[in-house]
Amino acid sequence: MDSKSEQDKSEQNKSERLALLIDLERCTGCKSCEAACKTEHRLGPGEYRNKVVWASALEEAGLAFLTLTCQHCERPACLRACPVNPKAIAKDPLTGIVRVDESRCTGCGECVIACPYSAMGYDAKGHHAVKCDLCVDRRAEGEATTACASVCPTQAIRFGNRAELLADAEKSGRLPRDQDHFLLGPATIYLERTKPETISTATAVTPARAHPQQSRRPSFMDGLAAQAKVLDQPPAFPYGETREDTAPDRVVPGGCNICFNCCTVKFHFKNNNLVKITGNDEDPLLKGRVCPKSQLTLQMYHSEHRLLYPQKRIGARGAGRFERISWNQALDEIADKLKVIRDQYGAEALAMFIGTRTGILDYRATTKMFAQMFGTPNKDGTDPFCASGKNVAFEITLGNIGSGNSYTEHDLGSAELYVYIGDNQAETRPVYFGMINDWRIKNGAKMVAVDPRLTATASKADRWLPIRPGTDMALGLAIAQHILANNLHDAAYCAEWVLGFEQWREFILQKNYTPEWAATATGIVAEEIKRLAEEIAAADGCVIFASRGVNQHTNSTQTNRVLMFVAAITGNWGRRGGAFFNMSAGTPIAAKVPEHRTPRINKPRVRRSPAGWTDAMLHGKPYPIRALISCNNPLAQWPGQDQARAAFSALDLMVHIELFANETSAYADYLLPAASGIEKGEIGRSNDDRRIVWIDKMIDPPGEAKSDTWIWIELGKRFGFDDVLKDKYKDPAVFWDEVCSDSDGLRGCTQKRLHSVPYRWVRQPVATEDAPEIETLYLEGTTVPGGTPGRRFPTKSGKLEFWTEELETKFNTLGMSALPEFYSEREQLVDLPYMELLETDAEAGVISPFCSPATGSARGRIVSPGPDHPGAKLRAQGFDTELVTGRPPAAHFHSWTHYFWQSQEMWPDLYCQIHPDKAAALGIKDGERVCVESAHGKIEAMAWVHAGIRPTAVFIPIGWGERQPYNPWRSVNFLTDKTQRDPVSDQTNLKVLLCRVSRAPA
Amino acid sequence: MQKQDFPDARLLQLTVAAVVAIVLWFVIRGALPEMWRTPGSPALYFTGVAGVLLLLVPVAFVLAKRGGHSTNPVGWFNAHIVCSLAGMVLIAIHSGGFLRRPPALLLLALLALAVLGVWARVRGSRRMSATFASKAPAFQVPDAATRERLRALIIEKRRLLAELDPRATEGTFSVNLPHFIRQPRLALAYRKLAREESLLLGSRSAVSAQQAWWRPLHMALAWLFVLGVVIHVVTVTFFAGYVADGGPITWWHLKAW
Repeated sequence: MDSKSEQDKSEQNKSERLALLIDLERCTGCKSCEAACKTEHRLGPGEYRNKVVWASALEEAGLAFLTLTCQHCERPACLRACPVNPKAIAKDPLTGIVRVDESRCTGCGECVIACPYSAMGYDAKGHHAVKCDLCVDRRAEGEATTACASVCPTQAIRFGNRAELLADAEKSGRLPRDQDHFLLGPATIYLERTKPETISTATAVTPARAHPQQSRRPSFMDGLAAQAKVLDQPPAFPYGETREDTAPDRVVPGGCNICFNCCTVKFHFKNNNLVKITGNDEDPLLKGRVCPKSQLTLQMYHSEHRLLYPQKRIGARGAGRFERISWNQALDEIADKLKVIRDQYGAEALAMFIGTRTGILDYRATTKMFAQMFGTPNKDGTDPFCASGKNVAFEITLGNIGSGNSYTEHDLGSAELYVYIGDNQAETRPVYFGMINDWRIKNGAKMVAVDPRLTATASKADRWLPIRPGTDMALGLAIAQHILANNLHDAAYCAEWVLGFEQWREFILQKNYTPEWAATATGIVAEEIKRLAEEIAAADGCVIFASRGVNQHTNSTQTNRVLMFVAAITGNWGRRGGAFFNMSAGTPIAAKVPEHRTPRINKPRVRRSPAGWTDAMLHGKPYPIRALISCNNPLAQWPGQDQARAAFSALDLMVHIELFANETSAYADYLLPAASGIEKGEIGRSNDDRRIVWIDKMIDPPGEAKSDTWIWIELGKRFGFDDVLKDKYKDPAVFWDEVCSDSDGLRGCTQKRLHSVPYRWVRQPVATEDAPEIETLYLEGTTVPGGTPGRRFPTKSGKLEFWTEELETKFNTLGMSALPEFYSEREQLVDLPYMELLETDAEAGVISPFCSPATGSARGRIVSPGPDHPGAKLRAQGFDTELVTGRPPAAHFHSWTHYFWQSQEMWPDLYCQIHPDKAAALGIKDGERVCVESAHGKIEAMAWVHAGIRPTAVFIPIGWGERQPYNPWRSVNFLTDKTQRDPVSDQTNLKVLLCRVSRAPA
Repeated sequence: MQKQDFPDARLLQLTVAAVVAIVLWFVIRGALPEMWRTPGSPALYFTGVAGVLLLLVPVAFVLAKRGGHSTNPVGWFNAHIVCSLAGMVLIAIHSGGFLRRPPALLLLALLALAVLGVWARVRGSRRMSATFASKAPAFQVPDAATRERLRALIIEKRRLLAELDPRATEGTFSVNLPHFIRQPRLALAYRKLAREESLLLGSRSAVSAQQAWWRPLHMALAWLFVLGVVIHVVTVTFFAGYVADGGPITWWHLKAW
């Protein structure tokens, strides 16, 4: 064939060419595509058909990602390098798909070496090449698209006819990147990022859009030593199995039970064996998009690390030596010991720490009922570490938790401006962010991110404001001041729907919280604050997202209130496309124990925060806590780990109910194996837009593991609670219909209704089974569900409440005012007012007016910094860096994902994000081990040199622990301090502590 | 459907077994009858012949893999491992324990081949899988001159291919054994262009030296071994007197020069 006819044939075939389109403007690097690919093709550790790479350099404040996968070149270098004859790699002349015939591949690796895109994978155990074939087998079974495209939370990956994909891109004004540098004719299309706006101020940064020519991944991520730990532990079923052996014969819809995005999924079974978890493509909202975690729960259900039977401690506390016992023995002995403790110290000597790992039914129902009948007020969960500040703020301002808006095109999709403050939604709720980002791109909406870090979220924003951690309140106050001082607010809305508006307005103006004032505190120039204020006020629909970055502070409640007030005065509350969001709306489960079955509780809860219980455990003050039942991992999670460990060592009884053995397990007297998700049946977590997602029980738990509900009911029997905690409630469907949904908001959310839709969710509130779901709550002219006609908001007044005399009295009880006055944190690099608690946890304090049941609280006082205040002293000792802690990337969530091999493969080591300037000054290179020390402890981590962080700060994620099976590290909470808490919500400051960083000794 | 080659554990077991057999033979050699200690004795002669025959299997693997007629290259690959290891044991025995003479270099080459092969399979494989998404130049734009040279190379390759294999398409073609046999000059010329293109792509230099060069080294050692065997056979067959160095010639030979 001559070259002309070859070209003609090539042109003709181009029209049939299939390809992936990868949009850099959408990709957030969540690695959901990697998870989907490995699940679909059952690829083990080290085997890749696709992988997320960083399309930005370390030295610039940019964070761009792209999924690297086979380019299906017209002239495939891999194919030509294959020495086998006939070749083990073939190219389909019509579709252009390049495939490996594994039966002919001898594993020489020449194709891997030859591919200039490094898009050829290799199975190190099976010794053969592995590559993307655009899911030929999957599509042959009737699926319309590839596995990676089907799950992508941000719709960054599309599959289809190459010419059509290009035409679509052109139609929407998007440019494909030219990456045919080697004249290989790659088919994969990468869309360039959109052009950024021009930034004129000094502190606002336009995230660099993408520089794939400098692409690299953080060094620690691919460290051979860390990866070897995963490679050396063969993955459990179904990875490595054949397609035939894992072809599902049954698919059941349900939900993911890990995080707050609460994705709907489908569970695929073969012979009742779970073989795959995918997104639910029948969900009209999420449309099959899921983050990696949802898919990786497959590795939880088949994990070899799961706890399988009850165990009793036989060694010293912390040594982790146990013997196997029966459930009867475990529960009998625990009950006997609890009775002794109750008789000796009173019922309140039992504390219960119930994390959301247990599932919402147990978190809000069974454990609550058990505690009420037992008579202990000392029960709480992770809220005081994550969300109690925003919960209190919502309750007192709105009368309910959650904004009332929904992730729909007509609601949040119609906003003109999205402002993220301390909310890395792209990594914490990836699918929700994918929707927001999609609307941003389609509608040309603006996005601004306020965060000490250039997060994956901020990387998509038009502007990133690298704020000093702990000063969001100053920013909010200044935005409010600028709006009010310039009459940019919605005066009619404020007059009609805001109670206490005038008092607050007067306060703000009198305090002179100007943008110039806030500039010093926040590190953001006044012009930028004014600009943001004006944009919020002018936008026809602005959504302010806040999250843990705002919540995990001693000013948590007040900062949330200030940001709520900003949303309200600009009319962005009770409208479509306008809202203040702070993650999950509460799930209104109202499990009730009959009054006659509730003993009188004589003492208030020691503190709302479980971290405030340690003095009661250690010193018996203000009264003794002698037993703890923990359903989570406090010894990685609680701030102030040294004290927590000492406190646990001092207990008479400690019971740990968990999926995997962890740090806390080692301190337990009894270790009880728990079930999760489809092993027990439950609802998904509380999520942003009020969806109740039902998960059926589909499989039996491993070994002798039991659902938390089963454990509490069985333990309850030993105390005679079975008339309330009935045996039949072990069936979660019965428990839901008879107990949990017995509230105004959930009464219509029955099992029948949940099972009537193929996506298994209903958006609450729904008062009756046939009541329609409400897309946007609190719209003008509507009445709040269950309220008297005309009552728009669920507060007593029916208005948003900024200030009332009652509120003022409540705040005064804690030494504060209902009018939020600025304060920041004790440990700062600059002198800022901070909160000082007047009572320690060992003192009774006052009864908090913001808690139920009655709860002790310290009073607070805002202190103006002086030369000998704690922050100044620490600075003098060389603690010269702001430590920010927070959620790791999307593949991880607290402890449990650290037992999933692929989460570890994606993000193996504990890391410390550090700015290149600081790293250079300290002689630290990317991927080196560093030592981080605060006034409260010391840990080590791997350096991730990244310009997308304030030069004065470092970031270390939560979730790692020292007893994890793959890459154990000491928890970052060895560096945090339990005494820095919000008097109103008892929320701990986890977002700014002073520390110092150095290279770890070799 | 993938056809499994030996897993790492099996490969290591086979290698260890071969090494143990060799060591064992060296340990007990002194206690064995004289014929097992005399170079060229009929026992050691036939052991050597058997060893060489086994070591021809890897050569056959090379031909089968490239010849265009094998339906099971992975099976041939497995056979090359087993036969190489077994052949290595027999060659070690054939040496009679005389390791200070030039033919012992062949045994050394065999050991080096085995070590390299095992390393590549057990350790090198990990590097191979870690290569995915690791090449820095993946999205780098080469300079205009390089791109122009690539364009010219492709045109030149297409021109040559029209003569070398008119039915083939340049984008998916590479020269193989039948081409070298049928049209060696054209095949070599095409191969040269392909190599130049590969150099311009820089893909081999983008991986570690061990990963890039273990296989060329393995093949070079193998061919050196084959050459050594040929020299050894010719020498003992035609120059038996020189080899015997005044001693008795106990092996079959044609000339005692």
